[in-house]
Amino acid sequence: MPIDLTLIARALIFPGFIFLLALALFFDWFERKVAARMQNRMGPTYTGPLGILQPVADYIKLLTKEDVIPRQVNKLLFTLTPVLAFSLFVFAMFYIPIDGSNVILNSSFEGDLILVIVLITIANFALFLSGWSSTNPYSGIGATRILTQFLGYDIPVIILALCPAFLAKSLSFVAIAAKQAIPFALLIPWSFALFIITLQAELEKDPFDIPHAETEIVGGYETEFSGRKLAFIKLSEDFQFLIGAALVTELFLGGPFGPVLFGPKEMWGAIWFVAKTLGVIFILEYIGNVSARLRIDQVVHSNWKILIPLAILSLALTITCEPLLRSIVS
Amino acid sequence: MANKMKLPSMIRDIASSIFKKPFTREYPAVRVEVPEGFRGRHILDPEKCISCGLCERDCPSKAIELVEVSGKRMPMFYLDRCIFCYQCAESCPRDAIRLSTVFELSTTDKEGLLVKPEEFIPQQPVTTKE
Amino acid sequence: MAMFEEAVSILKDNLGNDVLECKTPKPRRAYILVKLGCHRDAISLLLKQYEQTGISTITGTDLGSEIELNYHMRCGGAVTIKNRVPKEKPRIKTITDLLPGAAFYEREVFDLLGVMFEGHPNLKRLLLPDNWPKGAYPLRKDWKPQDVKSGVSDSEKNSETNGGELKEATSIVNVVVGPQHPALHEPERFSFKVDGEVVVDVEPRLGYVHRGIEKAAEHLMFFQDVHLVERVCGICNAAHTTCFSQAVEDIGGIDVPPRALYLRTIVHELNRIHSHLLLLGVAGLLLGYEALFQHVWRDREPIMDLIEMITGNRLMTAFNTIGGVRRDLDPNAAGKIKKTLEEVKKRANFYKVVFKEDPTLRLRTEGVGVLSKSDALKLCVAGPVARGSGIDMDVRKDDAYAAYEEIPFNVISYKECDSWARLMVRAEEVLESIDIVIYALEHLPSGRFRVRVPRRQPEGEAVGRVEAPRGELIHYVKSDGTAYPYRVKIRSPTLANIISFPTMIRGGYVADIPAVLGSLDPCFSCTDRMVFLDTQNDRRWYWSLEEIKPKKAK
Repeated sequence: MPIDLTLIARALIFPGFIFLLALALFFDWFERKVAARMQNRMGPTYTGPLGILQPVADYIKLLTKEDVIPRQVNKLLFTLTPVLAFSLFVFAMFYIPIDGSNVILNSSFEGDLILVIVLITIANFALFLSGWSSTNPYSGIGATRILTQFLGYDIPVIILALCPAFLAKSLSFVAIAAKQAIPFALLIPWSFALFIITLQAELEKDPFDIPHAETEIVGGYETEFSGRKLAFIKLSEDFQFLIGAALVTELFLGGPFGPVLFGPKEMWGAIWFVAKTLGVIFILEYIGNVSARLRIDQVVHSNWKILIPLAILSLALTITCEPLLRSIVS
Repeated sequence: MANKMKLPSMIRDIASSIFKKPFTREYPAVRVEVPEGFRGRHILDPEKCISCGLCERDCPSKAIELVEVSGKRMPMFYLDRCIFCYQCAESCPRDAIRLSTVFELSTTDKEGLLVKPEEFIPQQPVTTKE
Repeated sequence: MAMFEEAVSILKDNLGNDVLECKTPKPRRAYILVKLGCHRDAISLLLKQYEQTGISTITGTDLGSEIELNYHMRCGGAVTIKNRVPKEKPRIKTITDLLPGAAFYEREVFDLLGVMFEGHPNLKRLLLPDNWPKGAYPLRKDWKPQDVKSGVSDSEKNSETNGGELKEATSIVNVVVGPQHPALHEPERFSFKVDGEVVVDVEPRLGYVHRGIEKAAEHLMFFQDVHLVERVCGICNAAHTTCFSQAVEDIGGIDVPPRALYLRTIVHELNRIHSHLLLLGVAGLLLGYEALFQHVWRDREPIMDLIEMITGNRLMTAFNTIGGVRRDLDPNAAGKIKKTLEEVKKRANFYKVVFKEDPTLRLRTEGVGVLSKSDALKLCVAGPVARGSGIDMDVRKDDAYAAYEEIPFNVISYKECDSWARLMVRAEEVLESIDIVIYALEHLPSGRFRVRVPRRQPEGEAVGRVEAPRGELIHYVKSDGTAYPYRVKIRSPTLANIISFPTMIRGGYVADIPAVLGSLDPCFSCTDRMVFLDTQNDRRWYWSLEEIKPKKAK
């Protein structure tokens, strides 16, 4: 069987692994810079132009650090889970259309939306296991907090993701994104707003950054990790952030589809995708910066008593308004 | 819960910060001005010093030692122990110790933490030629 | 104040012959020596009469054959009830049943002077390390540092240092917070017993930042000690120097020129503004509100610049001295200070609204860490913590010092008793302080800013009290007629407040720990100042100053 060079190039370079890695690091930098400016600081400045290489420098530094494995941890889980979480996030990212189609061509199928959400859930479970296996009281509390929070917020995420899927009459990212001549964010703003809030919780950002609330439980689940393992955990967090922002882009903002001015369609796809995702990150960061961290009981309370009913309500509203919305679109 | 309440008052403040110039400065690249009267590195006036030793006795952290320089006993300051209270300047009967606004005192060797009286004595032309 | 004189006469009348000696050298200060054991009667008399009576601290002084215990009560002023116990058998009845707030003070005296308090529920070490040798009491005059040199490493390690043990298999987990922890800016250890997310119990362990300042102060001259006490705490240094200077000025009968009093007030209040803003920012950080933290600290920076301009350093002011202040205010500076303060006032008003209205901040602080008024009185808390629990208590009003008698200002107090109230007290006090500084600048008297004082001070004793940013600060100085103090006792406000922490946090969530701790504004450097700890450098620094004189530099 001949080796398909395009496939390898797509998977490894663009829009595959290397592109995604660069994107994750870039978003990391963007997030820090935006947060810094919101706080009237400079943010990273020394590494590269405007400090753009700061995340790279951080990871290189982490890779050179000593990798400590505490004596009492479960070695297998402790070593495996950071890599597992990372690879699951990367895998999930492969199903997101970046330049108009998935990373692996023609791998899009009816239902990949569900698959991606499931993969994110499993990856989060891996993060929980990583904390649980490190037998540190802070990690233990952090790990249970991940689970408590994640199990709650996964439900509204799925319900809210169904709203655009319903409008597009499809469960495939490409189909949903392609149907958005007018972005769904404008058609169903209620679902969009709720989805952003739930995503904030899902991504463990302020005001929901409870699993690693450093003033309470130091590093949360990642307290015991160091060196390469910590680098992998941090990278998975970056990727999780990337996926979160990408989900919003695909479901509500039309994904990679936008006006093509000149040149290849793929390039414009990627440009639109990155631009939209940056906008989403900006919104997420802004929310994080204008609120204090909630307490876990308040988070659980607001999830089950407020967000889930609201999510169901917004789905119902979407279904009711569907004929009207459809007429607007066409 | 959150939507029942008033909007946080920080919302506008944070949004406007994005367009403001950052408050922080790129310190080593951008210099910092300290006001007049800042208590920084010591300046000794060897002409005025009368070797009375009051500064050495009054220093709360014992950061001053009298050393002999060209036949005269004069104070030497240990910056690592100095607490920059300037009791010495206050105690000096001849105002031989003054303060400067030099505050960047970090150094890589201990010698750099000494303020020796020699540095305030104008060097003789004979020694510089050699 | 009328209440104070009344209290003293009540004590004299009711105790009768038990009062051996009674001195009232100046208004609102009384030193009453009572018969051994009668201190309990005196204290319960005061407690019965005045609701707001509390204990400020207990000072132990080694007098040679006796140990003198001074119970500094706050009751319209400082009533010091003295007791002398023989040094061979130092035993005295506890007062913790009358005033639970005295628990830490008794432990402190037990730890440092070896006085046994009979009936104390938990008479354990407070400040010294657990492996400190038995029978070595550093504040006794016959104690030498050499006594411990071999002792510390040899004696057994106390099991408690390992976080205590839990024998039964329960869902309760021991979570040790500190000595290093992101919620703590200074090393201190709290061992929490946590059931899931709920805090069942907590035990604080102090003493990680001991530097031996009280003992070291006995080896420095009075005017040098001003620079030493300044280093008890960086943030409230102006309060410490003001307090110490006042105590020494009382001993020497020194009249401080009014201009100096006003200048002291100005720096003291600038100090308070920066300390409160610092705390409000830190509270933001502890509650996960990073942007608020950065913004508050940004707006605190102009205040630091002002302090730098007035005193010569942004933090360590080195401004006060015995007999006045060390620098005069530049006449041109007043305008700039006022202008800056007007700017800061706008921001302070804004932050007051933020803390009042921000929904997420309120969610985290309202009803959290409740300390009821009666608990607050029993535990003798001080400063913003007491005022957050509805107690109108402010040394600046109750026992006016410096220029506060002439400056109008309001005492802020909140009745909510929770973390939010304590933060709001501080947010509003910033505004009051700004007004005080502006008033003081406008009414600044002319004249000298300093009087020269002799190095030797006459024999005597005095209590200095000021309202530090964190609450009532008290310095007790005893002089034996030389240039060196015989005893210096410092009780910083955090020691008074930290005792209330277990009451506040019990039953709360893990996430409440930083919220409550932040609202206490703990400053552990202040708390742990009495005894040097085991690091070699510290010991040599304080004990044999000649030893460290370095070899002659080439």
